[in-house]
Amino acid sequence: MTHSLHRFGSPENLSGDYIVFAMSAKGINEKGSAQAMRTFMEMALDLDPVNAGDMKTGNIFSLSREEILSGIQDISIVHAVFVDEFKVSELLARVRESDLGISIVVSGLFDRVQAAGEAGGVRQHTMECSAGVWGRVDKLPSADVMQVTTMCGHGMVAAQLVERRARDIRSGKITTTQAAKELAKLCVCGIFNPIRAEKLLLAIAERQRRKEDKQLVFAGQTST
Amino acid sequence: MYINNQACSNCAQCIITCPVSAIHVDKSIKHVVIDQELCVECGVCYRSGFCKDDALVRPQLTWPRTLRAALSDPLIINPETRIPGRGTEEMKTNDVTGRYGLGYLGIAAEMGRPGSGASFVDIQKVSRALAKLGIEFCPQNPITSLIISKSGDLNPEVLGERVLSGIIEFNVPLEDAPQVLETLRQVSKEIDTVFSLDIISLVEPDGSVPMFPLLEEFGIIPSPNGKNNIGLGRPAYNFWESN
Repeated sequence: MTHSLHRFGSPENLSGDYIVFAMSAKGINEKGSAQAMRTFMEMALDLDPVNAGDMKTGNIFSLSREEILSGIQDISIVHAVFVDEFKVSELLARVRESDLGISIVVSGLFDRVQAAGEAGGVRQHTMECSAGVWGRVDKLPSADVMQVTTMCGHGMVAAQLVERRARDIRSGKITTTQAAKELAKLCVCGIFNPIRAEKLLLAIAERQRRKEDKQLVFAGQTST
Repeated sequence: MYINNQACSNCAQCIITCPVSAIHVDKSIKHVVIDQELCVECGVCYRSGFCKDDALVRPQLTWPRTLRAALSDPLIINPETRIPGRGTEEMKTNDVTGRYGLGYLGIAAEMGRPGSGASFVDIQKVSRALAKLGIEFCPQNPITSLIISKSGDLNPEVLGERVLSGIIEFNVPLEDAPQVLETLRQVSKEIDTVFSLDIISLVEPDGSVPMFPLLEEFGIIPSPNGKNNIGLGRPAYNFWESN
């Protein structure tokens, strides 16, 4: 279950994208872990994440804070998404001080996570990286769309929906914020970063505009 | 998932919600339909709220189609792992479980990711190629539970099914990793989908991470981002005494 591992992007746009998870180990420290995860989630929500949720129940775009907290079970996996690494440091420091006893994982740029961890008094124990996509990569959508769709590692955000919403932004049918929130809602467990998505959607809209401009020029040249 | 044609107003709004493009207009009947072969039962169209007619119907699935939902809808809890999602706890609880120890790498081929979906025929191609190397697949993984032989064969009942993603997970000694990566490189040319490759490594006491130089030696540029277990789980697994 590696749904936050393969987030495509440049170091620049990934620098505002951090996910902090908490979960228990089944059969080892599982029993009674719901309370520790609830405490983690309260700490995370107090830091105003841009998204948060429980893989068992849903995210803040579909559930209230109370619904998420009351729905946490021993088998939950809870997460919060931040755009600011200082908040990640703060959360890690609070979790360390509270000694919750559950496993904590941070997804993000390795060097930035290391820095955030050191500021929060913790260090990396086990790391996981992506070694890329193999096989029929010709079947994949464009790289800019994948930067959006891979923010839901479970694949709940369709590439064709991202392309459509970028067009809708251009035509004024929807705002960038509305589009990003709609996509975030589809990522049920709550690891989609809607703030990063807004910037990426605008870039896709710009790419679409340039392509259409080029086609118009070409059509004009053909007709003359 | 299917569409109740009597309730559906044919607005076609659901088409763009489908991650695997299984929803389309059937020109012969001039109506929106869901291709049952392509549909992976992920539930996105149903949950999206795009259908104002309540025309999307989630039927009670039967084996082996149940696998589609189990490996595509993240809200379903897998009976093997007892966690939501498609794999295991993998490195997320390594501080407690000790699943990935000194001198080993964790490797996973996430078949169908990102967003392409995979058939079990393709998943079997990869499991068979790895089984030839004597790989032992991680227990408590939904795909491992479908492997019925040492040659990596899957339960033949599932070979007609498709899923949004299925994760083949295993551990290898560091020295065996190049051969495994080469095998994956070769089999990746034989499949009709993609897989995302995950590599997991314990951080050594001196702060070094064995997976990075190994990947670079093999010509793979590792991602600059990834997952970091920060070792706060208790009771802490003692890696140093057990090695």
